[in-house]
Amino acid sequence: MAVEYGLTGGSGVWLGALMAGIGLFLGVAVGLNVPLVLPQAYGKYLGLAMLAALDSVFGGVRASIEDRFDNTIFLSGFFANSLLAAGLVYMGDQLGIELSIAAIVAFGVRLFQNLGAIRRRLLKK
Amino acid sequence: MLQRYFSIALVGLILGLLLVLLFRTTNQGEPTVPGDRAHELTVELKSLTQERAGLEAEARDLEQKLARARLGYVQAEETIRTQIEEATVLAGMTRVAGPGVRVTLMSRTGATPPGAIFAIRDEDLLKLVNELRAAKAEALSINGQRLTATSAIRLAGAHINVNLQRITPPYEILAIGDPVSLRNSLEIKGGLVETLRDWGMEVTVETENRVIIPAYKRPLVYEYAKPVLEASP
Repeated sequence: MAVEYGLTGGSGVWLGALMAGIGLFLGVAVGLNVPLVLPQAYGKYLGLAMLAALDSVFGGVRASIEDRFDNTIFLSGFFANSLLAAGLVYMGDQLGIELSIAAIVAFGVRLFQNLGAIRRRLLKK
Repeated sequence: MLQRYFSIALVGLILGLLLVLLFRTTNQGEPTVPGDRAHELTVELKSLTQERAGLEAEARDLEQKLARARLGYVQAEETIRTQIEEATVLAGMTRVAGPGVRVTLMSRTGATPPGAIFAIRDEDLLKLVNELRAAKAEALSINGQRLTATSAIRLAGAHINVNLQRITPPYEILAIGDPVSLRNSLEIKGGLVETLRDWGMEVTVETENRVIIPAYKRPLVYEYAKPVLEASP
């Protein structure tokens, strides 16, 4: 299935990018119109969750380029990584350990690895 | 297949939402308190809490002192009240009762009219009162007129005035004190009562378990005498 309708296929990639763009746009619109403002103490957790989510997204992009994309893994990774990152930081705060640094380093490294892989893959073509 | 695009859109949506929320969270109103400032404030809070606890303890202490002072105030008031009571009793401003004697004094019936030589004179009453005082009578009255420190007994025309109030025979002197010694002081052999009886007056002296002596009814005002506050040499 992945081979047949893979995101590598010309229209598939662009459709995926379009869907991502639409989703992003919708999310930004919703976020701007929701009157909810989180306390600043939660900013840290939110940032970590976002870093993890970004990592998942790049991981997904890389997987799709490498024809290894799996919807379940992508979605579960996205949510699990974000929640885990936020939970880890919260736990670190409770224990007095700066676990956020560990999360930032781990996700940052993975992010750049994914980016590098994508770049290489694209350039190789 | 559609599932995939759906999930991508969902992830994009959540990412966008997170992005905006994070942006708004970090850029909201007041800037975050820097760490050292927070530390400073914590230290200050701690010291202020201690100070507050100290002040509260002090307040409690002062309140206790105040309560004690109030108690002392009440006691002082009570003391003053009892002193005033004692003073009014001593000054003769209250009705008093106690054991004592009743002395009645009258001219013999059908005897000489008032003013005659054997009528009862102010001096007789004065002497009686003097004798009773000498026998430690604590309160005295003549015909309902309380004798105080400023009382006078004098002849005014044909009548005797006590406290500037005319009294008429028979005269009745009430005295509170030790009944026996009061009576003995009057009825001693060759004493005052015997002399008066010799002069033809009817004198009776009765001891009583309880005589009631009325209060001095006029205001007691000293116009000229003022207390000297310095310790007398």
